[in-house]
Amino acid sequence: MMYEYWLAKVRPLSARKKRKLKDAYGSARAVYYIEEKDLHRLGILTKQEIRLLCRKTESEKQLEEEWKKLEMAGIQMIPYGAPEYPQRLTQIQDPPFALFVKGDLPPENQPAVAIVGARKCTPYGEQMALEYGEAMAGAGIAVISGMARGIDGAGQRGALNGGGRTYGVLGCGVDICYPREHIGLYTDIMKNGGILSERIPGEPPLPAYFPERNRIISGLADVVLVMEAKRKSGSLITADQALEQGKDVYALPGPADSPLSEGCHQLIRQGAGILLSPQDLLEELGMERICIMKKSDKNKKMLESPENMVYSCLGLFPKDVSYIIEETGLEPGRVMEALITLVLEGYAREISKNHYVRAEKGPGRKI
Amino acid sequence: MAFSVVLSAGIRGMHVELVHVEADISNGLPVFHMVGYLSSEVKEAAERVRTAIRNADIVLPAKKIMVNLAPATMRKKGASYDLPIALAVLASLGVIPKEELERVLVIGELSLSGHVRKVSGILPIVKQARDAGCHTCILPLANRTEGNLVEGIRMIGVSHLKEALGYLTHTLEPEALAGREGKEETDGAAEELTELLDFAQVRGQQAVKRAAEVAAAGGHNLLLVGPPGSGKSMIARRIPTILPPPTEEESMEITTVYSIRGMVDERHPLITGRPFREVHHTVTRAALIGGGAVPVPGELSLAHGGVLFLDELTEFQKSVLEMLRQPLEERQVIIARSHGSYWFPANVMLTAAMNPCPCGNFPDMGKCSCTPSQIRRYLSRVSQPFLDRMDLCTEAPKIAYDDLKGTVKEESSEEIRERVCRARKIQTRRYAGTRVLSNAMLGSGDLEQYCALDAEGEALMRKAFLALDLTARTYHKILKVARTIADLDGSEHIQAPHLKEAAGYRTMDKKYWGR
Repeated sequence: MMYEYWLAKVRPLSARKKRKLKDAYGSARAVYYIEEKDLHRLGILTKQEIRLLCRKTESEKQLEEEWKKLEMAGIQMIPYGAPEYPQRLTQIQDPPFALFVKGDLPPENQPAVAIVGARKCTPYGEQMALEYGEAMAGAGIAVISGMARGIDGAGQRGALNGGGRTYGVLGCGVDICYPREHIGLYTDIMKNGGILSERIPGEPPLPAYFPERNRIISGLADVVLVMEAKRKSGSLITADQALEQGKDVYALPGPADSPLSEGCHQLIRQGAGILLSPQDLLEELGMERICIMKKSDKNKKMLESPENMVYSCLGLFPKDVSYIIEETGLEPGRVMEALITLVLEGYAREISKNHYVRAEKGPGRKI
Repeated sequence: MAFSVVLSAGIRGMHVELVHVEADISNGLPVFHMVGYLSSEVKEAAERVRTAIRNADIVLPAKKIMVNLAPATMRKKGASYDLPIALAVLASLGVIPKEELERVLVIGELSLSGHVRKVSGILPIVKQARDAGCHTCILPLANRTEGNLVEGIRMIGVSHLKEALGYLTHTLEPEALAGREGKEETDGAAEELTELLDFAQVRGQQAVKRAAEVAAAGGHNLLLVGPPGSGKSMIARRIPTILPPPTEEESMEITTVYSIRGMVDERHPLITGRPFREVHHTVTRAALIGGGAVPVPGELSLAHGGVLFLDELTEFQKSVLEMLRQPLEERQVIIARSHGSYWFPANVMLTAAMNPCPCGNFPDMGKCSCTPSQIRRYLSRVSQPFLDRMDLCTEAPKIAYDDLKGTVKEESSEEIRERVCRARKIQTRRYAGTRVLSNAMLGSGDLEQYCALDAEGEALMRKAFLALDLTARTYHKILKVARTIADLDGSEHIQAPHLKEAAGYRTMDKKYWGR
């Protein structure tokens, strides 16, 4: 295993070539002890890559120490070809040479959806991701995502709220929590699922790693849900890769003029499925039987009149106080008071100074 | 004895120190010698005075002329000693009878031709002269209206050394002095400029207007957040129009600061409106809070009794903002120098404006192109302790076309001011006999006494403390602002609706911005 770790560490060498090497020599150990001239004869690698492979910056002893450290930290390495290696990933075009895992791997027999989307999303997208995550978890479906800010994190938080399993695929080593503010999410995911990466533990998040990591997200999922994406977006890369891998892609519609829904609308036009409601999606996936939907009864609760007027003015896109004052025709002081009442009762949320959105789920819920 | 004394004065911070200008003429080498801890502009007075006297057709004898400015421990600055030196020399020559100069304060700069130029700091100096028992003050003609603000002392405005001489020797024809003494009515035209600004000109922005009204009613500091072009500065500029007019005492205080900076208008010397000072973000520390070898008041003191407006708050140098912290708390500036400390008033209502993120469009995610970390970095340019001094925070949204073209009649400043004045009156009555003037000045120790909550309010704040992630500081600020809202409402006790509205104006903790 230690030699697989060594081979996984060699950079920059594509996963495809690493697999070929291993296949050619039978084991990573054999690759480690290979002579330079044999490599030349084999003709898989370029001269530069051969030099890279033969450099062997660490001694075997150092490797062994590093390997022990990983085990101590509870990080497993699953090389390509190992029995635990996710079946789904062997189907994709360029499976990672090795997966590092903290926590568990997604079970083979459990259906999985990926919830992806913009990091900078609107409260609408965030709320929807939460709801879809929760509904999927409730239906016993695993949620795969990238633990990023915005949609990814919201989808996974939703899955945790719904008491389900969720798996985060990172663009850095599994021992690094990126983004840092998601440390709470990171630990929760580890307890209720797992953190995965093809990166060596300790590797920092580099921009180039993220598109590569997206193919693992779509590869591990059966269905990919795109919640919000701009016209040019990393989420669209995930969607493209999912299509190449033969997965179904669903996109969430939004307002026609919202730049953050443009990418989704484009996907829908290209033939992606449309997300109408979590319920509808589960029916499409043929899973409605086990779905337990909890309908919030909060909306039915009668609110006092000015609060009611203000509440009906709110939506999932932020509204500012001046707009609400005009819309309701109430006194500025009254509106402010009503808004704070709503916030205290958990019907509204202030997402930036003087900008309020409707909150469906009650107070104190953080993403 | 060829010796004479003329009384003059110099400014030291906000205080006036009387200076005795002594002149002595004796036999000896013909020199004009000056002593008394003089700065170079005062030393140069010797040349100006000599030439001006010659141009007033008086020949100085070839004798030793000695001038001393007492007290010798005080550093003398400025050109305002020219005229008193000239008169002291002439008195010791016998041109002017010495008794004419008794209990007369003289001040003014001389040009080589003998003309008298205007100087700064007249108002506090004249006041001090009156308190010191002077009956007359000879000052530059251009400064006379300002001097007239002080009751109980005669002002003689002179435009040339000869006129001063003529007045003191009674050789001037009475008509030449006509209109030079006594008072004339100063009209209220100075107010016209400020009257042009009115809240009725601000379309829409109801929420911000309400916040401005609350801030004005309690003298609270106000932070405006909003995208570029949303009218933040427009609103800030109009805040003085809804503040209660300054009392006579306040007017004098404000005018004194302007007088020391030489910024008093000749025709309308008394400042009857509340000042509005907009400071550019390149301002230096000395320009903002005051400074100099002998410190002069800065923008902060020029805004005394009115509004200090900091636009683009995040662009200010951090050290400059941090320096404002203490003066804002104490409502005065104290500048310490090795030769003593200087005091300036600084009772200002601070209004600051900033964008919510570098591009200005947050939280409109479709338009905002900033990453969360960029937003955090942007906001971190303003320190938390500084934000803590802002009692109210509100956002000015982008203006819609309909708002611009709206036909709704907006409330005028006059109407808002009436409500503000009523609330201020309640505060004045409540805080009579304490050092507190407005709700904004309440310390955390006073809150229990003046901002007591009933059971309902108590329960509400308990709930809000958790739900809104309040800290002890924000909690106190909400109480203070709620007190003001209750005053606006004419309510003796703070009630739940007041607390709720106040909670809506709280400054969000930075860590919750941009998430």
